[in-house]
Amino acid sequence: MKRLFAAALFVLGSATVFAQLKLTESPTADGQWLMYSGSYASHRFSPLRQISTDNVARLRPSWVYQPPGTGALESTPLFANGILYVTAGPTAVSAVDVRSGKALWEWTRPIQSSVLNLGFPRVNRGVAMLDNTLFVGTLDGYLVALDARSGVERWTVHVGENPVGHSVTAAPLVVDNKVIVGISGGEAGIRGFLDAYDAKTGKQLWRYWTIPSPGEPGSDSWPADSWVHGGGATWLTGSYDPELKLLYWGTGNPGPDWNGDSRIGDNFGTSSVVALDVETGKARWSFQFTPHDVHDWDANQIPVLVDAEIGGRQRALLVMANRNAFYYALDRKTGEFLLGVPYAKQTWAKGLDDRGRPILIPGMDPSEKGTLVYPSLQGATNWASPSYSPMTGLLYVPVREMGSVYYKTAVEYRPGTYYTGGSEKRLDEESWGAVRALDVRTGKQAWDFALPTPTWAGVMSTAGGLVFSGSNEGNFFALDAKTGKPLWQFQTGGPIRSGPMSFAMNGRQHVAVAGGHALFVFALPE
Amino acid sequence: MPRARTALLVLGLLLHASSFSVAQTRTAAPANTTDVAAGRKVFDAQCAWCHGTDGTGGTGPNLQGKLAHATDLKSIVDIITSGIPGTEMPSFRSPLTERSIRQTATYVRSLSRGAARTTAGDAQRGAALYSSNNCGGCHVVNGVGGILGPELTTIGARRGPPYLREAVVTPEATHPPGYLVVKATTADGQDVRGIRVTEDVFWIHVRDAAGTVHALEKSKLQRVERDLTATLMPSYATRLSSAQLDDLVAYLSSLRGAK
Repeated sequence: MKRLFAAALFVLGSATVFAQLKLTESPTADGQWLMYSGSYASHRFSPLRQISTDNVARLRPSWVYQPPGTGALESTPLFANGILYVTAGPTAVSAVDVRSGKALWEWTRPIQSSVLNLGFPRVNRGVAMLDNTLFVGTLDGYLVALDARSGVERWTVHVGENPVGHSVTAAPLVVDNKVIVGISGGEAGIRGFLDAYDAKTGKQLWRYWTIPSPGEPGSDSWPADSWVHGGGATWLTGSYDPELKLLYWGTGNPGPDWNGDSRIGDNFGTSSVVALDVETGKARWSFQFTPHDVHDWDANQIPVLVDAEIGGRQRALLVMANRNAFYYALDRKTGEFLLGVPYAKQTWAKGLDDRGRPILIPGMDPSEKGTLVYPSLQGATNWASPSYSPMTGLLYVPVREMGSVYYKTAVEYRPGTYYTGGSEKRLDEESWGAVRALDVRTGKQAWDFALPTPTWAGVMSTAGGLVFSGSNEGNFFALDAKTGKPLWQFQTGGPIRSGPMSFAMNGRQHVAVAGGHALFVFALPE
Repeated sequence: MPRARTALLVLGLLLHASSFSVAQTRTAAPANTTDVAAGRKVFDAQCAWCHGTDGTGGTGPNLQGKLAHATDLKSIVDIITSGIPGTEMPSFRSPLTERSIRQTATYVRSLSRGAARTTAGDAQRGAALYSSNNCGGCHVVNGVGGILGPELTTIGARRGPPYLREAVVTPEATHPPGYLVVKATTADGQDVRGIRVTEDVFWIHVRDAAGTVHALEKSKLQRVERDLTATLMPSYATRLSSAQLDDLVAYLSSLRGAK
């Protein structure tokens, strides 16, 4: 395990050298991608530089792999020892040999049509890996450990009750011997939690409840028994600082989503980021981006850990372009709010006060007759990964420029059904998307690359000076990381709703992305 | 009528409505006036946007008189709960409680049980006007006609008379999905104006008024202008009398596909 730990540190600290890792016995292990966001700091930055601004125009598809099932893939593959591990919905894992594009094994969990997915598609976004074991969450609420060599199941544990809305769609995160797993179900009135399991045995090590029970800190922000179905799901992968031994995880919207009448108060624990001691699962600090959220602005976006100078002082930062259209920089040791500025069109807040609390514009809550607000329910960004390049100091954000008319309706809790209390009418025609580069120190826009529609594609940057992303229209493209100028594109023929990654095999750099229901792998001509 | 145009009602995070399990809604107690009143309130906020106030139709079908997809209260409840696959009718399982759905269905049923609205015009005379004005030059009905405008074979089942009348009188106010008008200016200053057939990050395909599709690489264009309100459909406000418009709308309303 120490090897993985060291690798993450290495990627955290260096932009120019890539650690030669050996998770297993393979003689060709180099240029690996061992976790969902590429590193514990979640930069989604590849230190590989063979594919660069000079030659990316010659990038060519090597092969295409189509996993079992249907539906757009939302997975980021992992790469170790010549094998790509990619997932598909509702719950499937494939191990694909990079040289041939052939699957060595395919594992599919039988998922009945009665399995609930309230508020999200029947997807899986990726696996975590430790030595020879893969860890995958299941739509029906389990965590399964698979042998990476054969796909055989080693152990299975029950994480959450699917009949009341729990699912595991996010890629887990491995830290030391722990598998950290988040839960989906924020539209079903769940009470969110984050779990840690022993990687060898599957034994639960701790559970952190995102919503406080009566008497716990923050419980006074939940009237009566509203906390029981208070939401705060943990449905996307978080980040980790090995020095501080702190996990950083985003939490989702409070429930009911759009009708906040039963939960007057800040609804502590929701639409927040929380820093947890990885050994105990106890919270060190938390920061709430959207107190008493009534627009479904989950804060599950990937927290990006960056070291940079703010206010004349070098700081350990956690930065996030939040779904609520503000960019935030926090001190990741203490949770102190340092900076917050809008990065996309928003009409709900005049700004943030000196503690980062939004200064609300009155009359922007959902209403019976409908209230037009920017951003839309899906937010100014959503689950698609951002990327940070230590070479440019820029955070590359997948942006959704869109407004919605928000409606509020009556709501009552019934297990296994929606607990939302409203709907939205999207302003589709006036909407658009972008890959937007922000200076992490200021949140100011460095450049903007416009897309025809609000994007669902993740972003990756590389030491080759490139930014890769995709579009709903199927384009997979490379931009100049400094200027945003397009340098290459490939039409995949299906919407890109996944995050790109990069790896090297026998010294040859590849780039992979899922488009439609297929995984595309690219390299320069040999 | 609000300029609803092409935006679709999207319910919460519900991304793939069609993949959801079957409705588990129970049909409930008999209708009463309280339910009708409560249902009307929900309808005005959530449904009238497409179906028009009092269900007279708009971008969604007219709900007065016989319903195309429902025969009783249970089937209306099922439709509101699950939507109608392959149409623009979404599921309301997320925003509405079972009780609200039942009340809304009760109100919709009270609309459909009322006398079917009599259309002012005469469909046969409308068919003749459709022909004499060469509407078929741009629109297909039952496999016959041009391709510049939307197919109208089932338009009467999908759009209400108020919408259809407005589409003929003020076509730019009833902009159908997939018919965005764009003007692309090439490097040498030539304008290509027409319907956007498809667009991705790097290419745009434009069908001009003559029906020719231009495949244009965006990096080689000076600019692309999107006109969210323009349409290639001419207005018939002055070309047809009010009575003739009634006839044409009656004809369009009668287009419900093959029986």
